[in-house]
Amino acid sequence: MTEPHDLTTEAPEATTGAPGAAREAAPDRYPETGAPDETGDLHGVARHVLAKGEADVVIGWEEGRRGVRPAFVTTPDDVERLVFDTRCVHNLATYLNPRRRQVAALGRPAVVIKGCDAKAVAGLLREAQLSRDQVVLIGVRCGGVLEVAELDEPADLTPETVSPRCYRCDNREPHLVDYLVGDPQAEPPRPPKTVDERVAELEDAPVAERWHFWVEEFSRCVRCYACREVCPLCICERCVADKSVPQWIDAASHPRGNLSWNLTRALHLAGRCVECGECERACPSGLPLMLLNRKLAQAVRQRFDYVAGDDPEVPAPVGDYRLDDAEEFIR
Amino acid sequence: MARIGVFVCHCGENIGRTVDCAAVAETLAGHPGVAHAEDYKYMCSDPGQALIKRAIIDKRLTGVVVAACSPHMHEKTFRRAASQAGLNPFMCEMANIREHCSWIHEDRDAATAKAIDTARTIVEKVKHNEPLQTIHIPVTKRALVIGGGIAGIQAALDIADGGHEVVLVEKDPSIGGHMAQLSETFPTLDCSQCILTPRMVEAYQHPNIKLMTWSEVEAVDGYIGNFTVTVRKKARSVDADVCNGCGDCLAACPNRRTPSEFDAGLGTRSAIYVPFPQAVPNTPVIDRANCGRFKAIAKGIKKEVCGKCAEACLKGAIDFTQQDELVTEEVGAIVVATGYQLYSIGRAQPEGLTGYGEYGYGEIPDVIDGLQFERLASASGPTAGELRRPSDGKVPQTVVFVHCVGSRDPEKGMAYCSKICCMYNAKHAMLYRHKVHDGRAVLFYMDVRAAGKGYDEFTRRAVEEDGAEYLRGRVSRLYRDGDVIKVVGYDTLAHEPVEIDADMVVLATAIRPQPGIKQLAQTLSVSYDEHGFINEAHPKLRPVETNTAGVYVAGACQAPRDIPDSVAMASAAAAKVLGLFSVAELEREPAVAAVNETTCVGCLTCQRVCPYGAVEAKEIRDRDGNVVRTVASINPGVCQGCGTCQAVCMSKSIELATFTDAEMYSEIEALAFWP
Repeated sequence: MTEPHDLTTEAPEATTGAPGAAREAAPDRYPETGAPDETGDLHGVARHVLAKGEADVVIGWEEGRRGVRPAFVTTPDDVERLVFDTRCVHNLATYLNPRRRQVAALGRPAVVIKGCDAKAVAGLLREAQLSRDQVVLIGVRCGGVLEVAELDEPADLTPETVSPRCYRCDNREPHLVDYLVGDPQAEPPRPPKTVDERVAELEDAPVAERWHFWVEEFSRCVRCYACREVCPLCICERCVADKSVPQWIDAASHPRGNLSWNLTRALHLAGRCVECGECERACPSGLPLMLLNRKLAQAVRQRFDYVAGDDPEVPAPVGDYRLDDAEEFIR
Repeated sequence: MARIGVFVCHCGENIGRTVDCAAVAETLAGHPGVAHAEDYKYMCSDPGQALIKRAIIDKRLTGVVVAACSPHMHEKTFRRAASQAGLNPFMCEMANIREHCSWIHEDRDAATAKAIDTARTIVEKVKHNEPLQTIHIPVTKRALVIGGGIAGIQAALDIADGGHEVVLVEKDPSIGGHMAQLSETFPTLDCSQCILTPRMVEAYQHPNIKLMTWSEVEAVDGYIGNFTVTVRKKARSVDADVCNGCGDCLAACPNRRTPSEFDAGLGTRSAIYVPFPQAVPNTPVIDRANCGRFKAIAKGIKKEVCGKCAEACLKGAIDFTQQDELVTEEVGAIVVATGYQLYSIGRAQPEGLTGYGEYGYGEIPDVIDGLQFERLASASGPTAGELRRPSDGKVPQTVVFVHCVGSRDPEKGMAYCSKICCMYNAKHAMLYRHKVHDGRAVLFYMDVRAAGKGYDEFTRRAVEEDGAEYLRGRVSRLYRDGDVIKVVGYDTLAHEPVEIDADMVVLATAIRPQPGIKQLAQTLSVSYDEHGFINEAHPKLRPVETNTAGVYVAGACQAPRDIPDSVAMASAAAAKVLGLFSVAELEREPAVAAVNETTCVGCLTCQRVCPYGAVEAKEIRDRDGNVVRTVASINPGVCQGCGTCQAVCMSKSIELATFTDAEMYSEIEALAFWP
């Protein structure tokens, strides 16, 4: 049993992947843009970006039938459709993933991102899936989002309604962006039980019980791969789950195949996952995927002193070879 | 349909004693896809190989599994046999039932069962094997030698004499290295410079050697046979093509107080200097850190200061405006011969080493190290070969030599023996006694290690003919007492403390690799030990190769070495280079990774993890030349087949030939799912 690790309480500057490094340089970007209303207005920035031809499409959120939904605005006249409030949970960075050719077909994108989304953008940059000059990033200051977001009206965040991942967010003012809009926001409330506490609780249980827990959970997996499809960092053209020679992962949705799929997904994201929570939100069976993601993030932090941050220049520990590695055997 | 032949070897009694080889062959004969199975006492023998060849032809085999010893031992043998019978050699694999089975088990039944399992997994693998072709790589028949000491000079000369071009890079203004500083050499006491300088001149004048002094290797790209090396030619401030080496500039230089590196700090030199009279090339260098003109420029003074050297030069060779220059050289092999430095004894130490404050080095002027003694004894040294101590020029009547200062001392971070000190201490004692007949030479030693041709005789001679007094024990403290240095030590044979009044003390300090060696090693992708000595590929069988193909090592940068060892290593490295250059193309096993460009998403994680720099981004373009996608691409010449890229590739878009996913999977399945 290990101590619950709150990734944000210890000084993040001390870690290699901490956002601190990027933070020094970032603020210079905003004044250079010459945006019409760079501090306040999402609509103004979106209009400017489209009118000046900086981007062909602004990807943001709009009112839908049930709450807000992603919007693709291609003309300056349409920018009034865009909204940002506590219901905007979707990580729109996922549309920058080169797998999404229908989005790429819309032209050069500008995307509205929260702090957690900015980390996903950094992940795409880090893994050469995107180059920074291909995209306009409009950051929104964020004070947390709701756990259940399909509401007709924006709602204030309470400990019960806030998404647990927002607690102690270290990137509420996204960096890496070209424009930053919105007013500074208050810190989100503490949920009754944080993700770290839930991980710790599960870790306290005996192995047999934990095993039983996950077998139960995974038995509900229907292998729809919504978790994969929504993930901004599942970048593979052909997922290992779809490979048949050899068949690494059993395709049928029985417990053994489900176990290997879900563990493979989590491990492929170890040190890369930005904990945006989209996989768990998209899961029709309600699997607690964030527990796995969080556990792996803790392990990466403990072993490699690394947190997936918003500096695209800092390589993730898996996927980094250094000649001065302390491990003698590797040289 | 696979038609696999299984050949079970008894290896005399080695396998047959524990494994029922006939039963293994019999069981495998019934395995799906196995067309032939037999056992034989020695498969690697000529009749054994004949069995395999005959079966390949008669039974039209598509694959061969030899259940015998390790692939390391005999894979080549059996693949050659398969190839002689017309089968692609990579369709032949070995199942290790000796090291992995018979040698480590006693229960015959269990061992036999395990041997069957082992053979079966390999049969399943061979079903998925692909016929592969050996990879051919071109070779640039030109070598780079880093370091112009005796090892570097020897390696360069040997390669050049073999008919190939050599680029010899030396960081100092002259080649010659430490050997040029020595007065005499053990065990013959012949003059070091007398035997070295002809070789220096030979290297300088050799038509195949391109000498680059006052230069350093900055970057190395590429792989065996195809390296691209960037060399920084430091600004000499003297046009080497114009300078005739007359030395007028040296005489004109007003700065005469710069400590001479060549004299180990005991003498001085001018700011424009050649390190020593026999330097090669005999072209001076301006030491910009100590030149008044450059110091003024560094301070921001606009007015031109001094320039006396330029005034004195009748050829107009002085060029104050010279800049560092980066030169690119294409070479096929690299010899690292960067040599050593002496452990600096004082208190302050780099890299967490601790010094010997109690020995007073740097505080007591007459406590010197071995190289300084060499300069004192040398005819070309600051005292013109007269043994006079640095402080007052007095001829020392008692000299104490201390062995193992830093060496064999784990406390100081250097547990190794520096190897040459026992010999040069004996030499120093002899040289001293030859010059000061009534003087006392006292040596504090731990052991006398004089292994080598004529070495023990030499140390005996120091004792028996030249009266060197050997005291077994360590020195605990050195301190100044008036005119003398008190040497406090312990004689462990007599079991008594000793105290000697010495006029001079010579410390035989440990040999350390040159500073900057780790950076160079990283540039070359070669490994080094905790001290920074370059690691050889195998301590016994591959002593001059490194873990990077095409990079060789010679001399004291690999471990403490004396001159004969360094020269032998250099010639060995040169022989390796000449061997490499003797073939038109290099052949490589095709066990290299390849990218499936259809499924690769170009995340380039493989590029970041590749220890050999074998992965590059490749742009896939359409017919109009537009970039459609960027994918990873592996250079088969550089790839060493480690499989790291294959392991990190999330989309399984990298396959390592001979270890493909399908092959490995079928092995595991054969183990896990076969009854």
